[in-house]
Formats: sequence, structure tokens, C-alpha cells
Amino acid sequence: MFILNLILEHINYLGGVALFIIGLHTVVTHKNLIKKVMGINIMATGIFLFFVAIGNVTGGVPPIIVEGSNPIFINPMPSVLILTGIVVSVSITVYALSLVIRIYQTYGTIDQEEIVKIQNEEQTDD
Amino acid sequence: MIEQLPILNMLIFLMAALIIPLLNRRVFTLTLVMGFMVLLSVLISSVVLLVHVNTVGEFYYRFGNYLSFIGIEFKIDAFSTLFTTFIVGLTMLIYLYSCGDATDGISEAEYGRYYILLFILMFSIFGIIYTNDLFNAYVFMEILSLTSCSIISIKRKKENYTASFRYVMLNEVGSLSYLFGIALLYMVTGYTNMSLVFESIQEAWVVYPANIMTACGFMIVGVGIKAAIFPFHIWLPDAHSHAPSSSSAILSAIVVKVYLLLMVKVLFRAFGVDIIKALDIPVILMIIAGFGMIMGSFFALAQKDVKRMLGYSSVAQIGYILLGISFMTHIGLSAAFFHIMSHGLMKAALFLSVGAIIYYQRVRKINQFDGMGYKMPLSMIVFGLAALGMIGIPPTIGFISKLNLGLAALDRGMIIFIVIIVISGLLNAMYYLPIMISAFLKGEKVNKIAGIEKIPVVMMIPIVILGLLILVIGIYPDLIYGLIENAVNAIL
Repeated sequence: MFILNLILEHINYLGGVALFIIGLHTVVTHKNLIKKVMGINIMATGIFLFFVAIGNVTGGVPPIIVEGSNPIFINPMPSVLILTGIVVSVSITVYALSLVIRIYQTYGTIDQEEIVKIQNEEQTDD
Repeated sequence: MIEQLPILNMLIFLMAALIIPLLNRRVFTLTLVMGFMVLLSVLISSVVLLVHVNTVGEFYYRFGNYLSFIGIEFKIDAFSTLFTTFIVGLTMLIYLYSCGDATDGISEAEYGRYYILLFILMFSIFGIIYTNDLFNAYVFMEILSLTSCSIISIKRKKENYTASFRYVMLNEVGSLSYLFGIALLYMVTGYTNMSLVFESIQEAWVVYPANIMTACGFMIVGVGIKAAIFPFHIWLPDAHSHAPSSSSAILSAIVVKVYLLLMVKVLFRAFGVDIIKALDIPVILMIIAGFGMIMGSFFALAQKDVKRMLGYSSVAQIGYILLGISFMTHIGLSAAFFHIMSHGLMKAALFLSVGAIIYYQRVRKINQFDGMGYKMPLSMIVFGLAALGMIGIPPTIGFISKLNLGLAALDRGMIIFIVIIVISGLLNAMYYLPIMISAFLKGEKVNKIAGIEKIPVVMMIPIVILGLLILVIGIYPDLIYGLIENAVNAIL
């Protein structure tokens, strides 16, 4: 029961970490290059969720000052930082996908193992 | 006025990157001259900053004058000015060389683009070294990883695409690990500014040790992947051997070092020596460094391609630098900084001289170097000097850094690392000396040296200057040692 409570209280953090690990697993184990790029994106999303979850305050409202009321504000800093992070992640994805296109044009496949096979054949030809 | 120089340095690089596309209908020489002027002006302003910091004192640059806990802050001290000056000076030599060699594998339409990438790369390097903010360092790190992957894939060959794809994937895993570390630190301290994190981490350490331990692990692994520290080095040989020669020199002599400098900043400025020691990080780093020094040299022994061999040799040399950092003492850190500089000079000299040989003789395999000392005497002599430096033969800069590292190991009472340094030096000798023996002693000797080879002057000047620097600083290490002492004092 104690463990269940612990999990429920930290479900937002655990979700972020779970996504991070799923993404890492995808990057490391999958042979398909596009799936690797997807894995990177899942990893990034996990961290972004984790980061935003840090800033959340239970019962807090967005930090916009309304005269007369004095509510609890959530911390806007992590969300602001993550906006930068999202832009960076998109540009990396674009670059990686453009490389995948080039690899497909030159090797005719996007399977890691087949690419390694082709490269080894070329090396023995030399 | 002098307070504005750091940001002006970075703005000049950014402006240069924006102006180059506008010049692409003009003669290409115009772009080259402009790039040279940009690097020269940044070098001058970096030297001014270096003198200012070492005589007057360090200062902070705050963007928009926001308070440091919400704004971005640059810390201009003896550490950051020393390394920016060194890096821009080295880049200037590599840039001069690339003016003569730019045709090597890059199509003509891409010349301008290559220099755009180079200037954005310099911009992000300056950012990483100047910044005093963990998240800001992450953003610059991502710019650096994009541009450094692009200067590999700009050469339109099959292997370059796969090499840079692998590089971008591992780089991204590294950056995201680093970002995760920032998130965990932000969770317990509430800051991303390194000085403020350092102030509040002492209290947080008592309450949330698990968070700080995980953050430290993630950050070291993240930066370590990018710095090619031994078990994470798999991307390095491919990336460095397929890139154009001037890119290889930049990647191996500068980019990898920048991540190590960032690691020094994170470990000493953000976490602080006490917490790092409490977590036993120094022991882990020492073991990794020791394995890297031996294994990198072993892998290099097995290579047939000379640039691949140089790549694996970098892995071993990064082990030396990491060893110096992991001692956590004044003398160890100064040895590490000295080796960052000496390895930068030696690896640049090696890659540039090998680049000239590859470009004019079209040989890449080690067994094709017979008699090369007679065909390309100047390049081979500089290659030989730098190789002797790598082995650690006295009148070169490499001997001084190995001596310092040995003294640092003795200072901590770690005799085992002196043995490892010696073994690694012998392994270095085993793969560098055969090249020199076959270049100078084998092959047909009928045509004695008929004068130096005909390579463009812009390529010859940097090679000669690097060769001279390796010798001169090896004989008079005090020339830069005072500056390094100040840099170490700024970190510890």
C-alpha cells in the first residue's frame, strides 16, 4: 500500500522517466533508422514532461496577476526552458531525417544491419 | 567597452555566418578574406580580454541586466578567456589550411556553406566556454552537435552519411542525458545558474542525496558520450576518419576538448569538490581514464587507415586529460589543462600534415607510406615531431604534459597510473614509429630530398607554425604555464 501511494504521488515523474527509458530502448535496439529517430523524440518528450512536472504546484494557477485575488502560482521557468528544448529537438530531428533520406538514396535501405553488410562487402573489395 | 567584448566576439561569428551567403555571387576569395578578418578580430579581442582578466580581474556579463537566477550569465575569468584565445588561435591556423585544401571531397557549391557551419560552430564553442548557466550550455551544446555533424556529412560520400548519423544519434542521447541531469538538479536546488546551484546544493545534499547522485551520473555520462570518453568512443573513429581533413582537425583538436572543459565546469563549479568526492566520482573517472589510455592505444595499433589510427589515438589522449581532471588536485587540473592545449596542437599538426599527404599523394593506408619522407619532407617532418610529442620524447610539448601528469599521479600517491602512462606511451611508440621508419628509411632513396614539396603557401604556413609551437612550448613551457595556473585558480 505504501509503495502504491508512493507511485501515485510521483506518477508525473515516473511517466517522464518511463518515456525516457522506452525511447532509449528504441534507439539502442531497433535496426530501422527512422525508428531510431523516433526513439530520440520519445526520449526528449519524456524529459520535457519531467521538466514541466517539476514546475507544477498542486492547486496552482498560471502566473498571470489578476487584481484583487492572491492565488498560488505555478513555476513558469521550467515551461519556458522546455520551449527552447522543443525547438532544439525539432531541428535535430529534421537533420537526422535528412541524413536518413541521403542514406536511403545511396544504400537503398534504411536497415542498420544491411548497411553494415554493404559496407563490409565494399571494404573487402578494396 | 571591454565588458562588451565577449558578446561582440560571438556576434561577429554569427554575423559572419549570415554574410557568407550574401557573398556567394562574388569571387570566393572575398569570403576567405572576410573569414580571416573575422577570426583575426576575435583573436585580438580574446587576447585583450585575457590580459584584462589576468591583470584587473574577472567579471560577469548579464544579458539585459536581469538578476542571475532568471537571466543568462556569462562568467569571464582566467579559465574562459585562456581557452577561447587558444581555440580561436588554433582555428585560425586550421582555417588558413582549409583555404588551400577546401576542395578535398567537398563540392564547389558547398565551400561557402562549409564556412557558415564553421562560424556557427565557433559561436557555440565560445558560448559553452563563457556561459555560467547549465541550461544555456545545453542549448549551445545542441548547436555544436548539429554543426559538428554537418561538417562531417558535407562531404558527399556514403560513409560520411552513416558516420554522421551515428554521431548525431549518440550526440542526442548525450545531450538528453545532460538535460535530464539539469532537470534533477533544478528539482532540488531551483536554479540553473552554476554559482547559485553551488550555493544551494550543500543544503540539498543533506535532504535529497539520491537526486544529486542521479543528476551527477546523467551529466557525466551525457558529456562523456560527446567527449568520447573510453566506453562511449564508438562514434569517434568513423566520424573523424571520414570527415574532410580540416574538419577532422577541428573535431579532434577542439570540439572534443570543449566538452571536457564543460565537464570540468559542471563538476567543479556546479557540484563542488566536496560532493564529487563524497560520491566517489574521482575513483570512477580514474578507472575509466586508465582503461581509455590503454584500450585506445590498443585499438589504434590494429588500424590500417592512418586517419582512423589518429582517431583511436585521440581516445587514449582523452583518457590522459580525464586522468588529470579525476585527481581533483591543483597540480592534476593544471596537468589536464596543459594536456588539452598540447594535444590540441599535436593532433591538429598530425591531421593537417596527414591531410596534405592524402591530398597530394592519395594514400591513406599506413603501409603505403614508404619513402614518403622524400616525397613530402615538410609534412612528414611536422608529422614526425607531433608523433614524437604523442609518444612523449623530451624536447616536445607532449613530454611536458606527460611529466606533469606523472607528477600529479605521484602527488596523489598513485604509482599505478605512472605505470599506465608509461605503457600507454610505449603503445603510442608502437604505432607511430613504424610510420616514421617506413617514411624516412624505406622506399627508393635514389631521389634524395629535392627541396620541399609544392603545396600552397596557405597550407604550408599553419603546418610549420604548429610544428614550431610544439617545439617552442616544449622547451619553454613557462610561456603558457602562468596562464594555466590562473585558470586553475579560477576553477578550484
